[in-house]
Amino acid sequence: MADAPDGVTLRTVSLKKHFGGVQAVGGVDLAVPRGDVRAIIGPNGAGKTTLFNLITGDLAHDSGAIYFDDHEVSGLRPHQLTRRGMGRTFQITSIFRRLTAFENVQTAFLTHHRRHYNVLVRAKSLYRGETSALLDRVGLGEQAAKPSGILAHGDQRRLELAIALASSPRLLLLDEPTAGMAPRERHEIMALVADIARETGLTVVFTEHDMDVVFAVAKRITVLHQGLVLAEGAPAEVRANADVQRVYLGNPEPAH
Amino acid sequence: MQVLSGLSVGMFLFLVSVGMSLIFGVTRIVNLAHGSFYMVGAYLMVTMVEILPDRPWSFWVALLVAPLGVALLGGIIEVGLLRLIYHRDPLMQLILTFGLILVVSTLVLIVWGPDNKSVSRPDILAGSVKVFGQPFPSYYLLVLVLAPLVAVGMWLIFYRTRWGMLIRAATVDREMLGALGVDVSALYTQVFVFGSWLAGLGGALAAPTVAVAMGMDGDVLTTAFVVVVIGGLGSFAGSFVSALLVGLLQSFGILVFPAISIVLLFALMAVVLIVRPWGLFGRAEE
Amino acid sequence: MTASAPRVIAAILIVLAMAPLLLPPFFLQLLTEIAIVGLFATAFNLLMGFGGMVSFGHAAYFALGAYAAALLVKKAGVPMLLALPVAPLVAAAGALLFGFFIVRLSHTYFAMLSLAFAQIVFTVIFKWKSLTGGDDGLLNVWPPALLKSPMAYYYFTLAVVGLCLLALHAIISSPFGYALRAARESPRRARFIGVDVRRHQLVAFVLSGLFSGVAGALFAFYNGSVFPDFAYFPKSFEPLVVALLGGVHSFFGPLAGALGFKILEWLISRQWPVYWPLFLGGIVVLVIIVLPQGFVGLVSGWRWRTRPTV
Repeated sequence: MADAPDGVTLRTVSLKKHFGGVQAVGGVDLAVPRGDVRAIIGPNGAGKTTLFNLITGDLAHDSGAIYFDDHEVSGLRPHQLTRRGMGRTFQITSIFRRLTAFENVQTAFLTHHRRHYNVLVRAKSLYRGETSALLDRVGLGEQAAKPSGILAHGDQRRLELAIALASSPRLLLLDEPTAGMAPRERHEIMALVADIARETGLTVVFTEHDMDVVFAVAKRITVLHQGLVLAEGAPAEVRANADVQRVYLGNPEPAH
Repeated sequence: MQVLSGLSVGMFLFLVSVGMSLIFGVTRIVNLAHGSFYMVGAYLMVTMVEILPDRPWSFWVALLVAPLGVALLGGIIEVGLLRLIYHRDPLMQLILTFGLILVVSTLVLIVWGPDNKSVSRPDILAGSVKVFGQPFPSYYLLVLVLAPLVAVGMWLIFYRTRWGMLIRAATVDREMLGALGVDVSALYTQVFVFGSWLAGLGGALAAPTVAVAMGMDGDVLTTAFVVVVIGGLGSFAGSFVSALLVGLLQSFGILVFPAISIVLLFALMAVVLIVRPWGLFGRAEE
Repeated sequence: MTASAPRVIAAILIVLAMAPLLLPPFFLQLLTEIAIVGLFATAFNLLMGFGGMVSFGHAAYFALGAYAAALLVKKAGVPMLLALPVAPLVAAAGALLFGFFIVRLSHTYFAMLSLAFAQIVFTVIFKWKSLTGGDDGLLNVWPPALLKSPMAYYYFTLAVVGLCLLALHAIISSPFGYALRAARESPRRARFIGVDVRRHQLVAFVLSGLFSGVAGALFAFYNGSVFPDFAYFPKSFEPLVVALLGGVHSFFGPLAGALGFKILEWLISRQWPVYWPLFLGGIVVLVIIVLPQGFVGLVSGWRWRTRPTV
């Protein structure tokens, strides 16, 4: 396979997946450079979550390939991808409900540092500083001691973000990160993500339905439609794209 | 010859396992007490044969009545206990049916005592017939005839009657069925009673061939599990194919490794689990 | 659990150590049994409460531990103090073999298969008469003279159980335990922080089997004999009921449950020994039906606590 050019963190080549008779992902080529904040948008059923699941190893692809930092990772299992620096959050909040917020993040640090087969030390005292710092960073400092299952929905999403960040990912995939949140909170959390990405050089790929959020945060946008890439480019380009407007955005935006 | 023996064992296993698979398919409850129902069927057979006069027809009457007794037991348990827990965590349901194992087996012990019992075969089936020059116990012919009859009967019910159609629909989508106005709760009871009847029939049929004793429930339960896991919980065809497979394996296995046929079973189940965890004909549950 | 759990264990042990001064010998035997069942249930609960995996066939590992100990002493002439650490390894091996298949499955199949494997162990023990004595069991499995008296064996059991409890507690409060709980809460999320969930659960399964084997071995020498029904249904039901009774989300829950359970068993078995399984099964059935939440501290229930749970 030819070497990918420098700086492309995530690349998919002709990625395909069908379910029964439906071609969910019909040949998607994606190239996300390092440090990008990439929004993947498209109507429901466009294949966004399937694409995510293919990239993160939750689903086996039919054909095509996935490259992470120039290494082929197609077919690797989720925990292996995490070890290589890929992080993810889920559409349905996946946190460790009966553990406190603090323990949630602490556990992520423990596993990141490969200490999770250690039975000889007490976990409680490990990585406390890092955990507190990360919780503060996502705005959950006050709630650290609460069982995460009782946190408000938006706080749980923040917690999941913190869990994913604890593994020091180089690529973060956020599946509908703002689902179920009020508009202001959506902007807050995505602004937080963008800040963190800027600070740490993290590459972010996220799916989103709220166009305001997308245009506020994304550096580049990929539009999916029926399992294929319809358009790709900087937000202004995509907004102006006639196909995109027809399929997804409805009527053309009034000029400002 | 070995094939015939394997087939009869397999057919017998089918009778015993399909009830459990059916109950799960419709109600989503694994009845761990299924083996206990089988045991009650065998013990009821003993009692029936004892109390009926010594006539040629008494065996057949007993064979008819004993499974009905188990069906009644199943009905009581379903209405009195299971109905109350359908909405509960599957774990609680499992623990409850596990508890029933203890309750039923102790009740059997109390009613019938700890001694082994036996039932003699009816005269016309007491001997053996020559098959391919080898003696083959005539009684097993009964199983070979009866079990496929039951299987065909069930197939006809599932695919040719409205009730059967409801059952098949329920195994696919219960909520939908309820939304369509079907009395799902009555259907559950009927299915459970039918499944219990099948278990009881298995036990009653088995009574003349095995020692009717404490511990029957465990043996049968394990074998039924293996058959159902290999075939796929909730699949009628799966139970049939799997039962035959296991029956054949057991009778050939006995030739090769007399004592370790159960280990062979384990090996087969292990292979299936690695390749297709939800059974040969099952559906992946999430 | 707070950091003082080892201190709690030590305190309990000290209190129990004084028991012989206050109680007649019979109660020492009851307490010995309570300790053994408590260990069995705590080992079981590593899997159930902390791992989220409910085994319906844990008697298999108890029995493997008991028979391995008995066989080592009787047929291989191994001294008891050597047999005791080795026997649980047999149980752990069984757990590794069975667990390999079982952890691939989800709850219902997991339960069924764990039950089936226990039955297989039972059947093998039952049928392999030449090795295991079959139905007759193995008799005269006694500890050496030094430990033979009720009081001596009582102290010995306390020591072994105490050590095992400390080990189990260490496991639960270690990074391994944290990751295990994470896998219980959300396998998906656990994978995405780098946990190989299946492998992790298998290790937990083996550890649980190991300590169940210790309980079995201890019981073998306490009882003086081993029988196939060590692997049968009621024995598998025992840790399940005990753990649920005492609370599955706390470390000490199963121990408390063991105390209550054994006292109940003693009271009922005295009057009606044959009927004990009936009572056991019946009470459990009733509790599940009558109490909306089932038992205290359910696997699936959710409780908000002021202190973090471990």
